[in-house]
Amino acid sequence: MSALEVRGLVKHYPGVKALDGVDLVVRPNEVLGLAGENGAGKSTLLKALVGLVTPDKGQILVRGESVKLRNVVDAANHGIGMVFQEQSLVPNLTAAENIVLGSEGAGVRRGIYRWDVMRRLAQEQLDKIGSHIDPLARTDSLTFAERQMVEIAKVLRIEQRSQHPPVIILDEPTSVLESKEIETLFAQIRRLREFASVVFVSHRLDEVLDVCDRVTVLRGGQSVGEVATAGAVPRELHRMMIGSTGSDDHYHENAATPVASDQPRLSVRGLSGKSFRDVDLDVAAGEILAIVGVHGSGREDVCRALFGAEPTTAGEIRMDGTKIDLPSTRAACAAGIGYVPAERKTEGMVGSMSVAENMTLAKQKARLTGPFVAPKKQAGLVDSWIERLSIRTPRRDTAIGRLSGGNQQKVVLARWLVGGDVRLLLLDHPTRGLDIGARSEVYRLMRELASSGVATVLLADSLEEAIGMADRILVMADGRVATEVPCPNGDKPSPLDLVKEMV
Amino acid sequence: MSFRDAGPPVALIVIFGLFAVLSPQFRSLTNVQNIVDSAAVLAVVTCGITFVLMMGSIDLSAAGVMGASALTVSLLVANNRNDNDFGFLAIVAAVLLGCVFGGLSGLALVLLKVPSFMATLGVSAVGLGVATLMFAGVQPNISDTMLESWAVERFLGFSYLAWIAAACILLGWLIQRYTRLGRYAYAIGGAEEVLTLSGVKVKPYKVAVFVFAGAFYGLGGVMVTSQLGAGLVQAGNGYDFSAITAAVVGGTLLTGGRGGVLHSAVGVLLVMVLTNGLVQIGVSPYWQGGVEGVIVVAAVAAAVIPQRRRNQVVK
Amino acid sequence: MRISTRPAAAIMSLSLAAAVLSGCSTEQAGGGGDTAAADGACEASKVRLVGQVRNESNPYEASWLNGGDTFAKSVGLTQERLTYGGDSTKQQEQISQILAGDTKCLVMNVLPNGDSDTAPIVKGADQAGAYLVTQWNKPADLKPADHKTWLSHITYNGEESGQQIGDALAEKIGSGGIIALQGVLDTAAAKDRFKGLQASLAKNPDMKLLDQQAANFSRAEALTVTKTLLAKHGDKVKGIWAANDDMALGALEALQQAGKSGKVAVAGIDAVPDAVAAIQKGDMTATVSSDGAWQGAIGLAIGFCYATGKLKVADTAADNRAFFAKQFLITQENAAEFAQPKTDPADFECGNVFNRKVGPLT
Repeated sequence: MSALEVRGLVKHYPGVKALDGVDLVVRPNEVLGLAGENGAGKSTLLKALVGLVTPDKGQILVRGESVKLRNVVDAANHGIGMVFQEQSLVPNLTAAENIVLGSEGAGVRRGIYRWDVMRRLAQEQLDKIGSHIDPLARTDSLTFAERQMVEIAKVLRIEQRSQHPPVIILDEPTSVLESKEIETLFAQIRRLREFASVVFVSHRLDEVLDVCDRVTVLRGGQSVGEVATAGAVPRELHRMMIGSTGSDDHYHENAATPVASDQPRLSVRGLSGKSFRDVDLDVAAGEILAIVGVHGSGREDVCRALFGAEPTTAGEIRMDGTKIDLPSTRAACAAGIGYVPAERKTEGMVGSMSVAENMTLAKQKARLTGPFVAPKKQAGLVDSWIERLSIRTPRRDTAIGRLSGGNQQKVVLARWLVGGDVRLLLLDHPTRGLDIGARSEVYRLMRELASSGVATVLLADSLEEAIGMADRILVMADGRVATEVPCPNGDKPSPLDLVKEMV
Repeated sequence: MSFRDAGPPVALIVIFGLFAVLSPQFRSLTNVQNIVDSAAVLAVVTCGITFVLMMGSIDLSAAGVMGASALTVSLLVANNRNDNDFGFLAIVAAVLLGCVFGGLSGLALVLLKVPSFMATLGVSAVGLGVATLMFAGVQPNISDTMLESWAVERFLGFSYLAWIAAACILLGWLIQRYTRLGRYAYAIGGAEEVLTLSGVKVKPYKVAVFVFAGAFYGLGGVMVTSQLGAGLVQAGNGYDFSAITAAVVGGTLLTGGRGGVLHSAVGVLLVMVLTNGLVQIGVSPYWQGGVEGVIVVAAVAAAVIPQRRRNQVVK
Repeated sequence: MRISTRPAAAIMSLSLAAAVLSGCSTEQAGGGGDTAAADGACEASKVRLVGQVRNESNPYEASWLNGGDTFAKSVGLTQERLTYGGDSTKQQEQISQILAGDTKCLVMNVLPNGDSDTAPIVKGADQAGAYLVTQWNKPADLKPADHKTWLSHITYNGEESGQQIGDALAEKIGSGGIIALQGVLDTAAAKDRFKGLQASLAKNPDMKLLDQQAANFSRAEALTVTKTLLAKHGDKVKGIWAANDDMALGALEALQQAGKSGKVAVAGIDAVPDAVAAIQKGDMTATVSSDGAWQGAIGLAIGFCYATGKLKVADTAADNRAFFAKQFLITQENAAEFAQPKTDPADFECGNVFNRKVGPLT
């Protein structure tokens, strides 16, 4: 008998059919992968499984019995729990409190906390996954990976509610983990399989194939196929997801133009800051330089320092041979440096403002006449970029928060292009959280920009991406440049070559 | 207490030390007793407001609730307006009245979805209205010996009011540390939606926090009455913003999720030491307001240094 | 585009409303002004009495409104009681609402929130032809004599009261140090009263000012400040000069809590009932009566006399249009007379309304 089964689930939203008769089977003690492009209905399906969305039609069966899930607690009582993509822990509580939150049981008597009991209850959960986190540590003092462990431990609490093996749903758990941490997580997932069923969702197909026993592929709100992972390759899955043979040229390598100039656009010597020391790097016009390194290698801070958002203690930065100072982000903008931050939602855009406003945020001059916004000027400018980048938005004054992730990112990129004077782009995880289609669009855009002579510094989401996109790769470890690997078309290094240098 | 919480206590010690060096009267025992006594009411009110701030809400109802409670208690204990003499029961009634007003704020917030800023401002006006009705033109002077003794009698050098405040701080700390109410108030300020996702019904806790804070304001009104010997409509004048200031100076964030009762107690002492010290070293009254403002801003700035980073957004 | 059209529409409808409203009020004002101001022959029963103060939550202003009620009753009318909570904007709103109604035979006795609030009130009353008496606050260059229906402005000589209680303190303590509790520093009342104290200090060289602090006319603040000053100056403090009675009462509590009841002389201004009672008991030395009940009644009485034509603006002496009213120093000897705020109907006969004038406004 299946642990969890979904039959013909349908969910309509105004104007959209998010789920169009999805079928899904989760067997006991298996890891089921769920793959699909953004908009395929993955998140709606997951929400339906934990009672956050009420389906219009169809059945959810738990161990063969049809159930109605009205909320998260209902789902938990049936043994279904989810680790959310955006972490759902209260940062200022202890790990123990988060683990037992909402089901404190014996930990609270008549409203009074019994910390020793709380600690024990939490420890029981942490023991299940073999984690050594201190249950009484404040959650915001833990690393991202540790918090994820707390989250898994929390979901395992549902075992206490239903007397059956639980079904644990992991929604995009790897998207912000470094490779070491991903390994640990996968070990956890294999461990969970001993006593639970796991539904694993990820954009990275190699991961899905690595950790799952079986993959169900969704497309357009329907299940379009099921693949046993043994012996399967990513391309096969990819084809099912997009409904045709995907282009082999994912990274648009054909569009890559050789770097002509040997005069560096950006030249950095001996740059030092809080978490990095003596960093030298050069980027030529039209070149894409990827910086790779593990968590704590200092690459993010170098990137922020180049945008004046992180203080430096020593070193020299030259743009086209001219020495520049970057005491603030304003100075960086003035020097023709653009920055696309990793935290798109909090640092990259203003969710409630329109596409047009977000696009012209940094380069106000382009839309002004005197001190005033010239509506016509702004409209023309914005429309031309919407068209050039094929941004899918109903109107230019639609709030950016309502666009899909890929289109949001294009607007953020466009912000640095509208002024027409950007010479160096710093891209901090520009494809984080985007689906394959949107990624491909962003890659195409990066190629276009490079061929128009913009120098690019890329902090890639994965080694594969860095290798695919970069002309040259800088490996950082412990705040220093460990080595530099040339990465020309046709002679790409292997991920293994890089990993050796990273640790 | 971690490093990043160390700012306010350090500021308190520095400012206290500075005044002690500058003025021999300031460091006299009488004056230290005086500072602690004067801090009592503000400490109790701040204790209450801290729970609301921890939740990420704001509470401006203290002034009105304290006025209503001051009039209530002064009309129910032995006084010159009527023949009532309910003694301790009167105090209980005034505190309960505070709870009712707190409940009103909380219900307006969760049921009518009125932002706490407006809801509590409204409740404050209602409180002042109720107080004015009870006042009816003649100030009730109290003659209840127990209530009068609170401000006058001393135990180990400090007035009963100071001990009551200390008890409130202890109670507040225990609640913050050891009860679901306190921990959830803290968690609501940290990430309310997570609580909902975990199946916690948040609304009752929000209302409860406002009720709880109201009780503290009610007690604050009683304490002011004891100090002044009369029930004043203006008993809570200025306490709303002073309490918020003290809490923030102590390290409680207006955005919620940080700080606590002990932080606030330090903040209250900081504010009281400051006002007292400026008088003691003889700063002209025409300058005091400005100087105090500058020092408060400087103290808060110093307190947040350990957590500052570039491009941080502060609103 | 949606965004920009809405405010535009709102502004248009607002200005439209303003045009309509102002149109209405001009018309009314013209009509009312002609009849009432010209002949001042309202029937007594048609007169509308309005008393406006900051709030009813302090004894002084409460007794003001009660005095107004007593007068209104004596002529068979009722007083409309208005309070604006110390909010200047709200005061102006209330005045315009009153003036938008029937202004024929309207009499207003107003306590303006501050000096600058007087001008718009006077202007409104002028246009509407309403009879107006103001008290306490007005700018020096704005004079009732230049207006038709702004009958009089009454205030007390703060310098004199400040000096009177200063002298009373000096007499009580003989020699020694005193501390001063000031009101809200930027108000005329606080400044004048403190000036009076300085004059008293000059006259009584044995009395020394040890310290002065602002306690903002508040009982609670006075309590804290007094305790701090007692800790600072200890037994050197022989007397406490307070710019109003609320602060004096706060100082009394502070003395009690410091175990110094009866050892330090305290004086205030306003003669609120609790202060008078404290003087009777001997806890307090002196206060000065500014007689709220009389103030509440006299403004209405003056207006009533002009509205009914018993007094004529043309016949009124110039120094009756703006004057200092008589105030009484209250000490233990005469405290009994002032124990209850009461009014004497004879004070409000049309022939007597200016009897408490002690001098023209300087």
